[in-house]
Amino acid sequence: MSGKNELSSRQSLFSRLTNPKYVMVYATIGIFLVIYLFGVIAYGNQGFTTLRTFMNMFIDNAYYGISAVGMTMVLITGGIDLSVGAVASLTGMFIAYGTSVLGVHPLVCILFSLVVGIGLGLLMGWVIHYLNVPPFITTLTGMFLARGVCSLISRESIEIKHPMMDALAGWKIYFMTLKDGEWVRIRPSAFINFNVILFVVMIVIGTIILQKTRFGRNIYAVGGNEQSAKLMGLPVGRTKVLVYGFNGLCSVLAGVAYALYVKSGWNLSLQGAELDVITCAVIGGTLLTGGVGYMVGTLFGVLLKSIIPALITFNGNLLSWWGKIATGLLLLLFICIQKVVIGSTSKKSKKK
Amino acid sequence: MKKKFDLSSLMRSKLTWAVVAEALILLVCLLVRPDFFKISYQPSTGMLYGNLIDIVNRSSEITIIAMGMTMVIALGGTDLSVGALVAVAGAIALKFMRWDVTVYNTPGDYSVYPFFLAILVPLVVCILMGLFNGLLIAKGDMQPIIATLILMVCGRGIAQIVTNGKQFTTGYSPFRVIGQGSFLFLPMPIIITIIVILCVSLFVRKTAFGTFVEAVGINRSAARLSGINAQMVIFIVFAITGFLSGISGLIYSSRIMSNDSNNAGLNYEMDAILAVVIGGTSMTGGKFSLAGTVLGSIIIRTIVTLVYYFGIASEATMAFKAIIIAVVIVLQSEPVREHFAKRTRSRSQFARGGALK
Amino acid sequence: MPETNLLEMRQIEIQFPGVKALDKVDFSLRAGEIHSLLGENGAGKSTLIKCLTGVHHKDAGTIILDGKEVQPQSPQNAIELGISTVYQEVNLCPNLTVAENIFVGRQPMKHHQIDWKTINSRARDLMARFRLDIDVTRPLSYYSTAIQQMVSIARAVDIKAKVLILDEPTSSLDDNEVKLLFEVMNDLKAEGMGIIFITHFLDQVYAVSDRLTILRNGRLVGTFGINDISKVELVTQMVGKDMDTIFNLKRANVSPDAPYMLTATKIGAPGQLDEITINLKKGELIGFAGLLGSGRTETAEMLFGAKHITTGEISIEGKPVNIAKPYDALMQGMAFCPEDRKLDGIIGDLSIRENIALAIQARRGFLHPLSAKEQNDLADKYIKALGIATPDAEKKIGELSGGNQQKVILARWMATEPKVLILDEPTRGIDIGAKAEIQRLMLEMCEDGVSVIFISSELDEIIRCSNRVIVMRDKEKVAELDGNTCTQSQILSIIAEGAASAGGIAQ
Repeated sequence: MSGKNELSSRQSLFSRLTNPKYVMVYATIGIFLVIYLFGVIAYGNQGFTTLRTFMNMFIDNAYYGISAVGMTMVLITGGIDLSVGAVASLTGMFIAYGTSVLGVHPLVCILFSLVVGIGLGLLMGWVIHYLNVPPFITTLTGMFLARGVCSLISRESIEIKHPMMDALAGWKIYFMTLKDGEWVRIRPSAFINFNVILFVVMIVIGTIILQKTRFGRNIYAVGGNEQSAKLMGLPVGRTKVLVYGFNGLCSVLAGVAYALYVKSGWNLSLQGAELDVITCAVIGGTLLTGGVGYMVGTLFGVLLKSIIPALITFNGNLLSWWGKIATGLLLLLFICIQKVVIGSTSKKSKKK
Repeated sequence: MKKKFDLSSLMRSKLTWAVVAEALILLVCLLVRPDFFKISYQPSTGMLYGNLIDIVNRSSEITIIAMGMTMVIALGGTDLSVGALVAVAGAIALKFMRWDVTVYNTPGDYSVYPFFLAILVPLVVCILMGLFNGLLIAKGDMQPIIATLILMVCGRGIAQIVTNGKQFTTGYSPFRVIGQGSFLFLPMPIIITIIVILCVSLFVRKTAFGTFVEAVGINRSAARLSGINAQMVIFIVFAITGFLSGISGLIYSSRIMSNDSNNAGLNYEMDAILAVVIGGTSMTGGKFSLAGTVLGSIIIRTIVTLVYYFGIASEATMAFKAIIIAVVIVLQSEPVREHFAKRTRSRSQFARGGALK
Repeated sequence: MPETNLLEMRQIEIQFPGVKALDKVDFSLRAGEIHSLLGENGAGKSTLIKCLTGVHHKDAGTIILDGKEVQPQSPQNAIELGISTVYQEVNLCPNLTVAENIFVGRQPMKHHQIDWKTINSRARDLMARFRLDIDVTRPLSYYSTAIQQMVSIARAVDIKAKVLILDEPTSSLDDNEVKLLFEVMNDLKAEGMGIIFITHFLDQVYAVSDRLTILRNGRLVGTFGINDISKVELVTQMVGKDMDTIFNLKRANVSPDAPYMLTATKIGAPGQLDEITINLKKGELIGFAGLLGSGRTETAEMLFGAKHITTGEISIEGKPVNIAKPYDALMQGMAFCPEDRKLDGIIGDLSIRENIALAIQARRGFLHPLSAKEQNDLADKYIKALGIATPDAEKKIGELSGGNQQKVILARWMATEPKVLILDEPTRGIDIGAKAEIQRLMLEMCEDGVSVIFISSELDEIIRCSNRVIVMRDKEKVAELDGNTCTQSQILSIIAEGAASAGGIAQ
């Protein structure tokens, strides 16, 4: 028996990789590679192939990515969170107002933001589960609230000036190469900053939570069929509330990353970011119906979303709004693939 | 079975709580600033003025869209693209009135193309975009929220392409009438809204269309197997919503006599969905209430107007809006309504028991 | 009795708004016993079970498990107490893998991480016990309902509960799978587990259980040893009437020269149905027998345009018709009660009136609405004619019992005055009384000249009502028998071995 099991587990590497549940992730990665390849062919001579271009996709979208980690989990439970952009913006306001006007240490501001963000997330989760208010409406109200508080703090953009924030924002690790026995920066220079590290770390944490903990698996179960999950004896309420709390955490971290990126706080910043984040997750293979989604997919979803503006910049002739249309078309393409894939895999094999 | 006045089922109705909420908000106004309710007549424009008129007037864009949104939500979906469609309608209308800045470089009382084109084409385009949504949802069997996300993302890009990213203005007076004119002492948007409400209500309740929408929203497969053409129902609903977004877009751009691809209709989808839900239609689909939606839209606008009126900074209205909406939604939530319904029931039973003794 | 009871429920009462769902019900279960719980729909079986699993809370009475009084608060709590349940509908998560569905919520951990290797290998072992050699790392939705049901039983078994509740687990299983399930149940019984078994199939009750308890209208009728009560007596106790008066039915009379109402010539679609031919006469009732997945449902769906046909043609009253969607079939005077009442039949939140008027309204188009009066008249007429138990026509159909829901759906189609009526498992999951009534209605319609296609898993029903019986197997029509002469064993052997060896094909 055990011998057979060992055999089948060895055998199953191929069948594990071809498991239909991963198809959407492959699609995301595949489409990304195709578009990247297109960029390489079309603009390779203009420097599209450089590591710098590639790293810039991370640097310019890290805050989306961080938020997308939490959003992916919310979407897997079958919910949605529209408050992420506003909460991130609120975090920026707290940091800017706290450091520049009140003279508080930024760490204290961030800590305060975490309490507010996670608290709001938990509260929304509680309302969604225990008062049975649709997530769309609950988090929309949360968005109005956070946005309103932003405007109450200040209606003007506030610059963030603090040695610690400057140091964090300016901190870079350059990619080096060995040339004539000496380590020099590669040309054109490419680097990793704090935001990129935070993004990657959050993806890793998200993967561990989803794949390696019971909490993570409960997220999938709740998204697959909430009623069943309840009857299977899973802690549905606690899972949902905690997921929204975790997403609050991600929103705040995204806000910190954004603050480091633009070095200011503005009450109207990141408007509509929630939909960009949702778009990232969806083109990363997460189903809005819940139950399906992977962090790796989300990672590539973020890259896929960020490669479009990069291509438009390299083209030089296209105007920026083509970006919106391209993103929309990408979304359409992706949903169509999803339809085809799901239609062909579920219930394919009838009973033997 | 005789229908009798039943307090506990009244307590269970979401609409009741929407009415209570609106009444409470207005009561607060009355107590704090009695002059809030003043309505005056301005002979020069032939229009009535006052906060109440203003609330209804300014809520018309959302009310019109929310009429369509009610049916979309009754189908169990959401239409996120309406805000973008508002921008598209405005962009096309202005494009037709002002083709090229090099020919007419000052805005004036003229239209380059015939006026009916400036009205008709945006509406037709919006219907087509609504049909596109319907196509993805009915034929492609996609989730409405994600199918309409596509046009929400694309739509503003399309609006910018139409005008080449420019912001046009116009002074063409027939166009001004749509958003700023008046009829029977009332601002034109109110008249348009009333006509829209009447048409939609008649269409939905005097034909069997409303029942079909509810049937498809509750159980699409069963509705189809009963012989209802579910796909057609979905097409019609999304086309209507597109059309109404177009009307709303014309009103919006007529108010500012300009197009604004970035801000026209911004967050309208959110407000419209909110109006529908506050009005008592469940987001899971099924039974819907158009009257509730109108009320919901007015509640949202009342809050905003009230906050403006009390001189609170405009961007901060959102915070107050959020708090009041949160209260309304919590009051409407199932457990809370059940709680109130139970309390009134046990109290009335108790009272009856007491009377018997 | 000397044996101590593993579980004892005493004087359980549960009050729902308006009705007393359970009235002083006693129930006991011994360790190492299979105890069947019987009763018509609405008798209170589900309520009693849900009280035990923490979904409903009792208003009075005591539950004693293993000598201690318990009070299950939630399904989670019930599982912790050692009460594990398999529900009629598969209550698992379709997006998780087979293995995960078995272990979710209690995954084995290694170094604070989920131990996927152990999960998968233990799941494989468990499925082997059910003689299922499937890839446990595939999502559950990849597999058929029968396999899903097996997985949910595997989950319940692996929890190592003291009490296992099986709430109609067999309705989506075929005979072999049922046999397998019984083997597993007997194994568990030998291990000392107490099993509560709920089913509508009386044969299964006698095949596997030690004792049985009958409920009627929320009250206890009695608990009997399996050898102490005959089948007839059992049914009589369940319905309160005796069986002959229930099923006093006569086959429809079809004159030999009756015209053909519906002819389907070699209709089919690859992978779903092999070209099958049906000739249905006016006023005739054809029964479709066969196992689940044998192509019965596909035939019905293709006739009604719910599924596309790639080959063959359909004609009604001799005229070829093109049926691409249910609406076309409706316009041709066809009617269809689908297999899954909840998913494809009822519009749960609409009233009885609206549900009844729906098909007529669909035929007229939404621009020609039925007036309120017409709708009310229609509803009143059918509520009376079919004996639908409801206070008024405005009650939501979702709040009715299964049998009454089925009658409303029948009413929806009777109102359209169809020429051809297709009924796919109209009697599944409803009680004997309602079953008999639906069969009676069906035969009455035949007398009125309606042609009926009747699909059922219960052979005695088919034999009792049909003029002709079509036997399906592996998506093919394997035999066509005369309803007056065919027997249950004949049909069974055809299903089991195929037409060639069984012989005896009529016509």
